[in-house]
Amino acid sequence: MGEGEIIEGCRLPVLRRNQDNEDEWPLAEILSVKDISGRKLFYVHYIDFNKRLDEWVTHERLDLKKIQFPKKEAKTPTKNGLPGSRPGSPEREVPASAQASGKTLPIPVQITLRFNLPKEREAIPGGEPDQPLSSSSCLQPNHRSTKRKVEVVSPATPVPSETAPASVFPQNGSARRAVAAQPGRKRKSNCLGTDEDSQDSSDGIPSAPRMTGSLVSDRSHDDIVTRMKNIECIELGRHRLKPWYFSPYPQELTTLPVLYLCEFCLKYGRSLKCLQRHLTKCDLRHPPGNEIYRKGTISFFEIDGRKNKSYSQNLCLLAKCFLDHKTLYYDTDPFLFYVMTEYDCKGFHIVGYFSKEKESTEDYNVACILTLPPYQRRGYGKLLIEFSYELSKVEGKTGTPEKPLSDLGLLSYRSYWSQTILEILMGLKSESGERPQITINEISEITSIKKEDVISTLQYLNLINYYKGQYILTLSEDIVDGHERAMLKRLLRIDSKCLHFTPKDWSKRGKW
Amino acid sequence: MSKLSFRARALDAAKPLPIYRGKDMPDLNDCVSINRAVPQMPTGMEKEEESEHHLQRAISAQQVFREKKESMVIPVPEAESNVNYYNRLYKGEFKQPKQFIHIQPFNLDNEQPDYDMDSEDETLLNRLNRKMEIKPLQFEIMIDRLEKASSNQLVTLQEAKLLLNEDDYLIKAVYDYWVRKRKNCRGPSLIPQIKQEKRDGSTNNDPYVAFRRRTEKMQTRKNRKNDEASYEKMLKLRREFSRAITILEMIKRREKTKRELLHLTLEVVEKRYHLGDYGGEILNEVKINRSEKDLYATPATLHNGNHHKVQECKTKHPHHLSLKEEASDVVRQKKKYPKKPKAEALITSQQPTPETLPVINKSDIKQYDFHSSDEDEFPQVPSPVSEPEEENDPDGPCAFRRRAGCQYYAPRLDQANHSCENAELAELDKLRYRHCLTTLTVPRRCIGFARRRIGRGGRVIMDRISTEHDPVLEQIDPEMLNSFSSSSQTIDFSSNFSRTNASSKHCENRLSLSEILSNIRSCRLQCFQPRLLNLQDSDSEECTSRKPGQTVNNKRVSAASVALLNTSKNGISVTGGITEEQFQTHQQQLVQMQRQQLAQLQQKQQSQHSSQQTHPKAQGSSTSDCMSKTLDSASAHFAASAVVSAPVPSRSEVAKEQNTGHNNINGVVQPSGTSKTLYSTNMALSSSPGISAVQLVRTVGHTTTNHLIPALCTSSPQTLPMNNSCLTNAVHLNNVSVVSPVNVHINTRTSAPSPTALKLATVAASMDRVPKVTPSSAISSIARENHEPERLGLNGIAETTVAMEVT
Repeated sequence: MGEGEIIEGCRLPVLRRNQDNEDEWPLAEILSVKDISGRKLFYVHYIDFNKRLDEWVTHERLDLKKIQFPKKEAKTPTKNGLPGSRPGSPEREVPASAQASGKTLPIPVQITLRFNLPKEREAIPGGEPDQPLSSSSCLQPNHRSTKRKVEVVSPATPVPSETAPASVFPQNGSARRAVAAQPGRKRKSNCLGTDEDSQDSSDGIPSAPRMTGSLVSDRSHDDIVTRMKNIECIELGRHRLKPWYFSPYPQELTTLPVLYLCEFCLKYGRSLKCLQRHLTKCDLRHPPGNEIYRKGTISFFEIDGRKNKSYSQNLCLLAKCFLDHKTLYYDTDPFLFYVMTEYDCKGFHIVGYFSKEKESTEDYNVACILTLPPYQRRGYGKLLIEFSYELSKVEGKTGTPEKPLSDLGLLSYRSYWSQTILEILMGLKSESGERPQITINEISEITSIKKEDVISTLQYLNLINYYKGQYILTLSEDIVDGHERAMLKRLLRIDSKCLHFTPKDWSKRGKW
Repeated sequence: MSKLSFRARALDAAKPLPIYRGKDMPDLNDCVSINRAVPQMPTGMEKEEESEHHLQRAISAQQVFREKKESMVIPVPEAESNVNYYNRLYKGEFKQPKQFIHIQPFNLDNEQPDYDMDSEDETLLNRLNRKMEIKPLQFEIMIDRLEKASSNQLVTLQEAKLLLNEDDYLIKAVYDYWVRKRKNCRGPSLIPQIKQEKRDGSTNNDPYVAFRRRTEKMQTRKNRKNDEASYEKMLKLRREFSRAITILEMIKRREKTKRELLHLTLEVVEKRYHLGDYGGEILNEVKINRSEKDLYATPATLHNGNHHKVQECKTKHPHHLSLKEEASDVVRQKKKYPKKPKAEALITSQQPTPETLPVINKSDIKQYDFHSSDEDEFPQVPSPVSEPEEENDPDGPCAFRRRAGCQYYAPRLDQANHSCENAELAELDKLRYRHCLTTLTVPRRCIGFARRRIGRGGRVIMDRISTEHDPVLEQIDPEMLNSFSSSSQTIDFSSNFSRTNASSKHCENRLSLSEILSNIRSCRLQCFQPRLLNLQDSDSEECTSRKPGQTVNNKRVSAASVALLNTSKNGISVTGGITEEQFQTHQQQLVQMQRQQLAQLQQKQQSQHSSQQTHPKAQGSSTSDCMSKTLDSASAHFAASAVVSAPVPSRSEVAKEQNTGHNNINGVVQPSGTSKTLYSTNMALSSSPGISAVQLVRTVGHTTTNHLIPALCTSSPQTLPMNNSCLTNAVHLNNVSVVSPVNVHINTRTSAPSPTALKLATVAASMDRVPKVTPSSAISSIARENHEPERLGLNGIAETTVAMEVT
């Protein structure tokens, strides 16, 4: 079986190296196929892995022996405009001219693939310079968009001659159907009615997302374009970032091997020369907002999404590269952006940020939150979260992050909640020999963590137990130990004394 | 195992949870299952992603190890932080300021070009630099301008030359380069930009379109409420401002018109003086000529629309007038026509002071007619107005507005039209609307001869007619009539009061009480007694009792009253069917008014006296002014009831006055014909420093004089209760009965718009909602008001004097 038969929607094991540097063959789905100078590349999504790990692979990494072709019936819901998790429509037949080249390309290629892209290009045998690459891929956007449109009315996919898949891999078929039959994506169950869902699936033309609420995206509008990363690499200051998700940077820039961003104003340029030129004109050395917190090298800047549109938009575009559920459908006016920076002699470098609705009807104190990848897993995320709750404390409100949370978001928040709550529980001293006690409401008030989140955390930590007719909180030894160990590692903390923040009553301003 | 056969209670967030630690932890082996009582909180993640392999692994790792294991973290695409040219790229250092950074919102907009040069541009620049000097920034500005000036279509070279302030050669070079580069460019612009939404919605699903405008404003519920409230407030404010503007404009117009009238009158006087027309013969001649043409005789029929023109062509004056008014005064003819013969007859018949009295009367009529349709807020007549000025006036003839709580009946044409256009019709009307002996239930008395008609809005209006029998009739005990009242037979008694011979008949047809009674008994004389609570009466009563002011406003009798005025000499009009409480209210008001009047009187006496002495004519005019005003049924009705019941010493005086047949007191309308007598009466009265009643009469006269000019604005037939109710101070009545603000305004105006008047207007407006006025407020407002009319009164008199002499 040749690679010419590999079409979008096919599933097959794809070689991937895990964190422990071991080879694995997880099942993956082909989302797209492209041809670069006669070499085919396949965009694969590893089933049950996060989209951020999706990547372009050569056919050498595909296990063609176990390929499953997309089933006709599984595709119908997708045709109806249901937000299928995958395109599954193979209009784009792999050109017959695509020759199967040597199947046995050694593994090292994929290793280079996983690292610096530009370097990789040079390393690729018969290495194409940038020019051919971009010229061929410049067709890509057009192709994608036409394809997307066609998808809605797509005719039945020519099913490959093998009819077995359905019976052979029933679990896949059902899994797929399950995905397809789940149009509502049940996101934000607390704020989204069913009506929106029904709207979405009514005629295959999704309606515009609601205007209130955060920039969190409604994934029901996912299509093949937004399911695929479109920017290869972003250079930001000292860092080169590999985007995780789609971001609507100007389409002509998506073909560039590297997108150059000004580290301070986040303006995007097509080349290093452009960035150089830009830096002669841009004298910002910090985010263009008011500094409201500073301790050590850490500062927070507040940016009004209405007053400083260009920065807010640039920040959103960058953030979208790493946030799956963020949408940039509407303008940034109703949001404030709190940008965390780290100072060095070059200026205030962006580490992460969170956005926040000026007026939230649903107690959200965070809309989107992101630590830029170079700073991840170093405690900055928790610092951002802590800061967001400090703001809520000043406002005298409890708050919660807007849903849905990402996997990393959930872990970070749970970790923050756990540590914050345990800190309080362990700090309680028994008065006059009596057992210390506390209500959930009290915890919520002290921490500004919304009541529901307090309960879910207590539950997650398995602290709530029922004993002698009442609920009690039990702090077991390993919980206490684990907490103490974790707190030792948590060195970055927000010092509320360094916060200079006066909440504004946006409702009185008429505009955001 | 199942110790927990019971169901655990729900977790209560407000209930204290005891904390057990380490060693004193109870044995919870049995209790593990209890967690089901606490509903599992959602993670807040999407279902599909929640089940993702790496997350689950991380979660379980955390659960097991209580801390993250390196291998259990969620893998992410790598990032590198080794850009080695960083320091070359970001030159210079930035020192952290001591203070927190605070950014000025508009510092961000520097004038730097958005376009950033790339290496391709650099090549061109290097090439160009061989011939001339061009800096990168300069180049970027050029490209930036070209880009921003062109949308889908590129700017032409010509346009580019206009845009760029550079050397022509350079422009050409850059332009050509730009065009070429633009053509090769994949994007819509050389400056990469986020795709914008299109209005047609075609971009709704384009994933590359971002940051769409929010078409609807995001609002919280609370906000919306606030907005609505303030929006409504703004609307109200706006309405009120525009209303004020309208009022001021109307004032301005009125004052202009008044001035014109004065000039015209003056002119007429001069003309007559030059012609030696002291007896009014020439004037009459002219009038007759004109009436042949268009039924219009007197210059008295001047009105707004003509004045400008008239002034401009002074020489053509009379002729011009007639032409002008032909078209416009169909309505006014009704009112005036019947007056003329009478006035003329009087001129010829009564000659002692030939040039004054009749003329005064006419001038007054003129003055009242003058503003009739223009200023009145609720004009009665369905006037076919042709004056453009009036048509443009938003508050003009069609400004009648229904009042809440009033029931309106369709106008009955047969009755509304009885201001007939010619004498025959008038005669017919007279037959139809006979006067008959009438008694009222409250106050229980006979009011003499009256006729009943249905006024606007279905109110029952009694037009009283004054006869010589009045003194006799006064004595009739309603009870006596009771026995006859059932009589359905009707005797046309009104024929006795035909207009033509009215004055003479009054002397002759004196019937004694016994005669009348016998007439009634023998059913030769119909006697009318209103049934209690008959439908129409109750209707009107309801309205009146609810809103006295409204009655005055809505019950304009206009044409009808004019007819009455003309037909009935010494006509007293009385309204029947007053309810008890209404009556009480009136009484209260009247008492209060009287008190007030007396107070004023003291004040006024002095000036009044002198003015009377020095301007006897003025005095005369003032009284006749009073007379010439039309009787408003409503106010007459007040007045009448007041006369009847006012428990004041003046009562006897009033009665006496009536007995003497001068009839110049309350609710009495003096026909022009009797003005002479009236005049003398007044003279007599003024000479004898009198008791309250007499003084009251005089005061009223005075008040009216004061308001002579203001009265110009209000048409005689249509309102001015004040003119008729002699017991009441005009202003006071206006306040109490709450005429619409504009009316009050007009009434209280003298020659110039005064702040007092405006104030009063607002007072009145506010009172509009509160029919009953507290004495104090009424008094205060009057006190304020009276001051000015008094001061201006002299002017008014002076003006009137001129007018009198003229016409």
